Amino acid sequence: MSGRLACLGAGVVTGWRVLVLSTKAVTNRPPPAKTSIVSEAERELRDLMIRYQSGSLEAFQEIYADLAPGVRRYLLHLAGGLQIADDLLQETFLQMHRSRAAYNPAYAVKPWVFGLARNVFLMNRRAARRWTEVHVLPGDMPESPVLPEMDKLGCVDEVRRCLAGLAADHVEALLLHHEWGFSFDEISGMLGISAQAARTRASRGMAGLRAALNQIQRAGA
Amino acid sequence: MMDPSPKPPEALIQAITQDLRPVKPSPPPLPLAMRMVPLALVFSWLIFLAMGVRRDSGPLLTWGVSSAQFVVAMALIWIAAHEGTPAGRLPSKMVRAASAAAFVAVVLLTLLTASLTPPGGPAHGSPWIAGLACGLGSTIAGAILILLFSWTFRKSVAARPTVAGALYGAGAGVAINADWRIICPVSTLPHALGAHGTAILATMLLGACLGRIWGARRLQTR
Repeated sequence: MSGRLACLGAGVVTGWRVLVLSTKAVTNRPPPAKTSIVSEAERELRDLMIRYQSGSLEAFQEIYADLAPGVRRYLLHLAGGLQIADDLLQETFLQMHRSRAAYNPAYAVKPWVFGLARNVFLMNRRAARRWTEVHVLPGDMPESPVLPEMDKLGCVDEVRRCLAGLAADHVEALLLHHEWGFSFDEISGMLGISAQAARTRASRGMAGLRAALNQIQRAGA
Repeated sequence: MMDPSPKPPEALIQAITQDLRPVKPSPPPLPLAMRMVPLALVFSWLIFLAMGVRRDSGPLLTWGVSSAQFVVAMALIWIAAHEGTPAGRLPSKMVRAASAAAFVAVVLLTLLTASLTPPGGPAHGSPWIAGLACGLGSTIAGAILILLFSWTFRKSVAARPTVAGALYGAGAGVAINADWRIICPVSTLPHALGAHGTAILATMLLGACLGRIWGARRLQTR
């Protein structure tokens, strides 16, 4: 996973695989080129998807093994609840199966599946009208898309609390970019916003997170 | 801690093995929209053949305008095809701006054709009946065109199926409106905007309803 967030304000610096905030994370990073070279992992995923479209169950299982953990954490972020996130994860892969013909190899697989997961979440929310059930209030957010090893670290809860206090769309763009390593162009296609808007949201999310963490640090001192 | 290499649950595997037939990948949005062009053109020709074109200089004067409007319709279909792609959505602002631009373009083109062509008038009966006939006729034609389009977008996985359906509906409505101008013998502004324009809105609403129904169906067939 390329994008990393660093917990800048709380002073925790290295070793985190996920929530690592660096000072140059958003603003100094050059925008990814539209015609960037497809990574080896992405090429493998595309090959798997093509095999899956040809009827290979093994290819599906490999895709699942590759993407399910990330998609699950993304759904955790969206839904805020473990049970519903697991249900939505299975629903996402079931929808992927039903819509496998709609995938075109011109698209990267990972953003396509994440976009599908988002669609599944939104459709379920809309259908069941359970926004209040699945989207818990910021102060009470039980789950954040953090890897298990983060639990050992002291300021995970602080970061979670800070993230929960930020605007949901800013946090989503921030995490999609830094946690899951999507380019702003990919985020733009997934969220239905311009690449510039995605960058701005991530940037504002980062600024908000820094401010919140600094505030906590000052309060602690 | 999560399994580093998770396996799909048995229920999911079972659901998948039930239907693992090879599928053909869907084309990207632009080729998908381009596929609808011959479909819409053939359907237009069928309408012309069934109803005949108006018998004055109108078709000669307005075919260019109708062609331009047909391009607008296909642009709407292209946007709708993007809306149905999880990783390929266009920015919402752009979708709104393009829809508004299409609406303005149709109104301007209608104003232009109304000024170009002889006003004509209903052969028999009141203008209200002519308006009703045109409105209903072009709405039914638009509905048939949406159903034809739906063959290609039935498997789309739109986040906002109602919006995607409305865009497909608007595209179908605008394409039919372009044809209807060449068929309909009445070119007065109230008729062209009132009866023909209402048919576009009705087709758009129909598309939105269809998109909503399909979106809900997709959820229910778990």
